[in-house]
Amino acid sequence: MISVKGLKKSFNELQVLKGIDEEINKGEKIVIIGPSGSGKSTFLRCLNLMETPTEGSIVFDGTEITHLHDREINRIRQRMGMVFQHFNLFPHLTIRKNITLAPVLLKKMSQEQADAKAEELLRRVGLPDKADTYPAMLSGGQKQRIAIARALAMDPEVILFDEPTSALDPEMVGEVLELMKQLADDGMTMVVVTHEMGFAREVASRVLFMAEGTILEQNTPDKFFTSPENRRLKDFLSKVL
Amino acid sequence: MGFIDSFNQNFIEQDRWKYLLNGLLTTLFITFFAVLLGMLLGFLVAIIRSTYLRTKRMLIPDIICRVYLTVIRGTPVVVQLLIIYFVIFGSVNINKVFVAVLAFGINSGAYVAEIVRGGIMAVDDGQLEAGRSLGLSYRQTMIHIVIPQALKTVLPALANEAIVLLKETSVAGYIAIADLTKGGDIIRSQTFSPFLPLISVAVIYLVLVMFLTSLVNVLERRLAANDKR
Ligand SMILES: Nc1ncnc2c1ncn2[C@@H]1O[C@H](COP(=O)(O)OP(=O)(O)OP(=O)(O)O)[C@@H](O)[C@H]1O
Ligand SMILES: [Mg+2]
Repeated sequence: MISVKGLKKSFNELQVLKGIDEEINKGEKIVIIGPSGSGKSTFLRCLNLMETPTEGSIVFDGTEITHLHDREINRIRQRMGMVFQHFNLFPHLTIRKNITLAPVLLKKMSQEQADAKAEELLRRVGLPDKADTYPAMLSGGQKQRIAIARALAMDPEVILFDEPTSALDPEMVGEVLELMKQLADDGMTMVVVTHEMGFAREVASRVLFMAEGTILEQNTPDKFFTSPENRRLKDFLSKVL
Repeated sequence: MGFIDSFNQNFIEQDRWKYLLNGLLTTLFITFFAVLLGMLLGFLVAIIRSTYLRTKRMLIPDIICRVYLTVIRGTPVVVQLLIIYFVIFGSVNINKVFVAVLAFGINSGAYVAEIVRGGIMAVDDGQLEAGRSLGLSYRQTMIHIVIPQALKTVLPALANEAIVLLKETSVAGYIAIADLTKGGDIIRSQTFSPFLPLISVAVIYLVLVMFLTSLVNVLERRLAANDKR
């Protein structure tokens, strides 16, 4: 579904991604782990072109997307959801409006259809009675579940998660991971940057270890955690497990 | 001469109070339309400038905006008024009040622009990112997500700018517009008693400003309450 070849990204002199090759297939759940500053977010943000790659190609569903025009980029992004560490809900809009704004503006649905969809999504994320409240009234965990609902409203083919639980109080991490597991079970294609090793073990179809802008090792979660080969990965795992 | 006599002489005789009333109406008229023009210009400039600062697009419009801001904020409003009236429209017969609206609107636009730009830049980058990640265009994200939030934070400052403008229009007399200030001055020149007409003018401005300021305070409280919902 997404095929990345020779992906490089530099910010001025700083080279953050140093050549990444990766195939992400439909229905896969990729979990990316790695030390801070290794380029995990940058990689994710290149996939939906929030960052413009410096070199290399990204083919999404048969289309090379790194040299598209703005309009086409917008169309690609409609098919790739993104969930942020800090939720980034729209504070001036009700929860319902947060969810329906994009599909209605982008003419995917009428307001009525979108409202119905919002109801359904709110039930799915376990917050059916929050449609008319504002983000400020929700807990962190609730905000992130709404952010996921907002992404789902566009019916994306893949969702990119950038440390979705890192900004949450510990007692709220579970509810968000639980929802992500549900999505995974429903067959959603997911690329998840996280420090939640339990989630990686349980949900991932593949785990990637990223360090200094390259993917040093990848494997099924079983082998990845029980028999890591790369020395840096062993070091890293010994610190986080 | 007692107060009553002086009052009669300055306001009642020859219906001199009409100088103040008509002047006040002129002042309010100029202020109202100058505020509208200033908001229009200011928003336009603020959007161009913040677009350039965030995306590096629109370089040429941004340069034009910066020249506008520098020139307008670096010169006195009276001089701008005189130049627009005597230089730019010097050779055509044109309505003076229209010239004043234009001059004060262009002047106010520069200050509005900086207020609004500050508001736009203060909106968290994550908001723009969230909008764009959903597939919304830059324009859609600005209109539906960034600007409404910016507007909320700058509304009180914008209202204060309008109040400042009300006072600034008092130099309209430089191009012989009979605004409130000029009205008081005309009475003074006819009666040779400066005290009452000029103090009256001051009191009228003061009452207007205090009234508008109290409205802004109510607005600020409403907005603050709104944030807590
Ligand atoms: N817009 C940018 N401009 C300049 N440098 C950037 C930018 N974005 C990221 N970087 C730099 O790129 C490097 C990698 O950043 P990135 O956010 O991708 O790392 P990360 O693996 O997600 O780290 P973390 O675990 O802390 O989120 C860092 O050194 C960061 O400072
Ligand atoms: Mg990151």
